[in-house]
Amino acid sequence: MKILRKLFDSTRRHFDEGGTFGAFKPLYEAMENFFYGPATRTGTAPHVRDPLDLKRYMTMVIIALLPATLAGIYFYGLRTLAIIVVSYAVGGTIEVIFAVIRKEEINEGFLVTGLLFPLVLPPTIPLWMVGVGVAFGVLVGKEIFGGTGRNLFNPALVGRCFLALGYPSEMSAVWLKPGEGLTGSLLQWYDTAAVTGATPLGQAKLGEWANIGSLLWGTTTGCIGETCAIGIILGGIFLILTKVANWRTVVSSLGSFVILAAAFNIADPDRFGPVYWHVFAGGLLLGVFFMATDPVSSPNTNGGKWFYGIIIGTVTVLIRNLTGYVEGMMFAILLGNIVAPMLDEAVVYVRLRRLQNER
Amino acid sequence: MSQITKCEIQLEGKPADSVLEMPEPRKLFIPLESVRFSFDSVEVEENRSVQPGQVLARDLNNFSVPLLAPRAGKVKLGEIKNHIVLDEITQQEEEPYDHREDEAHIPQEMGSVGLKRYKLLALGAWQFVYDAHSSKLPDPFGTPRAVIVSTVNLEPYTAQGEAQLQKRLADFTRGLEHLQSLLEYQPIYLVMPDINSEFSRQLRESIRGYAWVKPVQIAPKYPGDNFAVIARKLGFNKEKDSPVWAMRTEAILAIDRALTLSKPSTVRIISFGGPMVKEPIHLKVMPGYPLKDILAERLESGPVRIIDGGVLTGAMVSEQQKGLTAECNGLTVLQEHSEREFLSFIRPGSDRQSYGKCFLSSFRGAFKERLNTALRGELRPCVACGFCEEVCPAGIMPYLIHKTLYSGELEDVEQMRVDLCVGCGMCSFVCPSKIDLRGEFVKAQEDIERELHAEEVQS
Repeated sequence: MKILRKLFDSTRRHFDEGGTFGAFKPLYEAMENFFYGPATRTGTAPHVRDPLDLKRYMTMVIIALLPATLAGIYFYGLRTLAIIVVSYAVGGTIEVIFAVIRKEEINEGFLVTGLLFPLVLPPTIPLWMVGVGVAFGVLVGKEIFGGTGRNLFNPALVGRCFLALGYPSEMSAVWLKPGEGLTGSLLQWYDTAAVTGATPLGQAKLGEWANIGSLLWGTTTGCIGETCAIGIILGGIFLILTKVANWRTVVSSLGSFVILAAAFNIADPDRFGPVYWHVFAGGLLLGVFFMATDPVSSPNTNGGKWFYGIIIGTVTVLIRNLTGYVEGMMFAILLGNIVAPMLDEAVVYVRLRRLQNER
Repeated sequence: MSQITKCEIQLEGKPADSVLEMPEPRKLFIPLESVRFSFDSVEVEENRSVQPGQVLARDLNNFSVPLLAPRAGKVKLGEIKNHIVLDEITQQEEEPYDHREDEAHIPQEMGSVGLKRYKLLALGAWQFVYDAHSSKLPDPFGTPRAVIVSTVNLEPYTAQGEAQLQKRLADFTRGLEHLQSLLEYQPIYLVMPDINSEFSRQLRESIRGYAWVKPVQIAPKYPGDNFAVIARKLGFNKEKDSPVWAMRTEAILAIDRALTLSKPSTVRIISFGGPMVKEPIHLKVMPGYPLKDILAERLESGPVRIIDGGVLTGAMVSEQQKGLTAECNGLTVLQEHSEREFLSFIRPGSDRQSYGKCFLSSFRGAFKERLNTALRGELRPCVACGFCEEVCPAGIMPYLIHKTLYSGELEDVEQMRVDLCVGCGMCSFVCPSKIDLRGEFVKAQEDIERELHAEEVQS
């Protein structure tokens, strides 16, 4: 590792102000701080700090996404990897450009967006579209609001929403059947023969209910990362245990989803399907565990999180069952993002009223 | 009132309970600034000889609290900036205090109680007393609602009542009696650590029959020992003109000395700990004791940071400071961080304790960690993870105050009750974005007092 250290030390002067690549200082610093923990010291009390930093915090999300990601690669072939690479490359470039323009440091939030975005895309998506989508998501969903920590919407979902509205046929008409056997689709780039026309939720609208086992394991059609329910649940529980995802959001959105879906099912069992089926089908779990819990775009207050979850769970059921759309997760979370600041406002108002009386 | 936080910080370098009596110094360097006081009004002249207990300077903004000479010696004023240096130190017995000349200062209606209280101020015992809610020096002639006496210091590396009270339990009990004689009917709450410990048992034994002392046990988790937190837990909210007095062990010992022997207390027991101290221990010293002599030979080699107080709330000792301050109750020595660890953020972390359970250490039991001054991450925008709110003992919303300070008006920040912040530093400690929340709030409190309440103070 000494070679790397030497490389950083010997090139540092080029990136300092006035150096040849002075403008790229954020990139240099990001790289150096990625490989070597920063040398920064505390300035005032408290003189010691907790070891958790934002890099580690974001890394936890990536670790939690691994089961779902690996399942995606296993079921839909090596091309999935290419989609992830494109997403990281294009989105990362935009992040660097903005950091350079703002003369700020590069933030870690993108590490998560760059992986979440491919997981909500269909495996057949053209690679250029991945680039366009992630560029739109990062640019409009995050950077114009001022970057990490200030974004109103989840950037990955903004990108997906853009693609879904702009290129509906590529985003919802063609799906890939999952690979089978020991190696799945791991040995192939992309199985063109396995193309089909509908996801379990799409078939459900026609009255065909997919096998629950295949929904659990992920041997079904759907977006890259949303099919393997078991992998998502494992990752989600990990995220809650590490305190990165807030359990209140998860409990309230899943709870409200289950209650409302059960009500629909009781009203008309033939048309609306059983509750457990709905929980495991489509993007609900991925959205609830990984998108709704994004701390920045969800409400900051715990009270707000409860209501936010209820809105997401309810809207998902309504869109899935009563509209022409097959899946409602994306719109539900974006809608939740819109109302999040209002929920916060209300909860904060109440809390401050209570605090006023404290002395 | 929210619950006491669940965050536990266990660090290496806790001072042992034994006390080391430091040798007599040859020179004393007494700083004119300490955490609460600045002794701007100097009352001695250059080259003048002073007696032990003589007033060197006063802080006119804090009820003229005096800075007393700990030893007899010769005054040097200009030798070191912001210090009074005492040269040619000799150890003499202090003259008992003679109060006649001061009687004019005492409110007539207070009678003998007023006299006693003035004695505490004049003999340097009053400087150990705090207003529980604001941490300022309370008015010695004011009427408290209650008094909190704490033998517990939960902040890592600070002086422990258990060490300070060795062989002095009788003095302590007598000090409590003196304290009670200053009051009318107000209760004294005696805060003790683990009720089952031997120290706790001795303490309870010694106050048996004192109906006016109410023992209180607090959970042994920082910042449960904070005076404001204890006061609010006991049901005392902040009220103007009716403060809650709070003090630690050293205050009671000083009160005893002042009212039993009529002598000033300058020598006291402080903690000396931290990972860079070879043998963490308690020291018997006096204000002005040369830092050089305390630190020499007692530290591990390498760059260090000296802190006046504990690691979470203490103040960094500057290069210019040469001796112990009048208020110092502990010195903490940390290693200055300089090493850059390869791929530190993806290390499994079974050796690092964290509030967020993102490290393998979550699978082990509690252990002591060797910490240094590393920020352990980079400064980032707030991502609203909510950790600060979870650990806050005051029940306020640190992230919201931070965002409002960034974008809003000071009035809005006041609405969010930044004044309830007790300055424990837990929010800064846990913040993954490494935001200096405590520093921001302390500054905001000062700004609010100065800009929004300036008129109130004047009127």
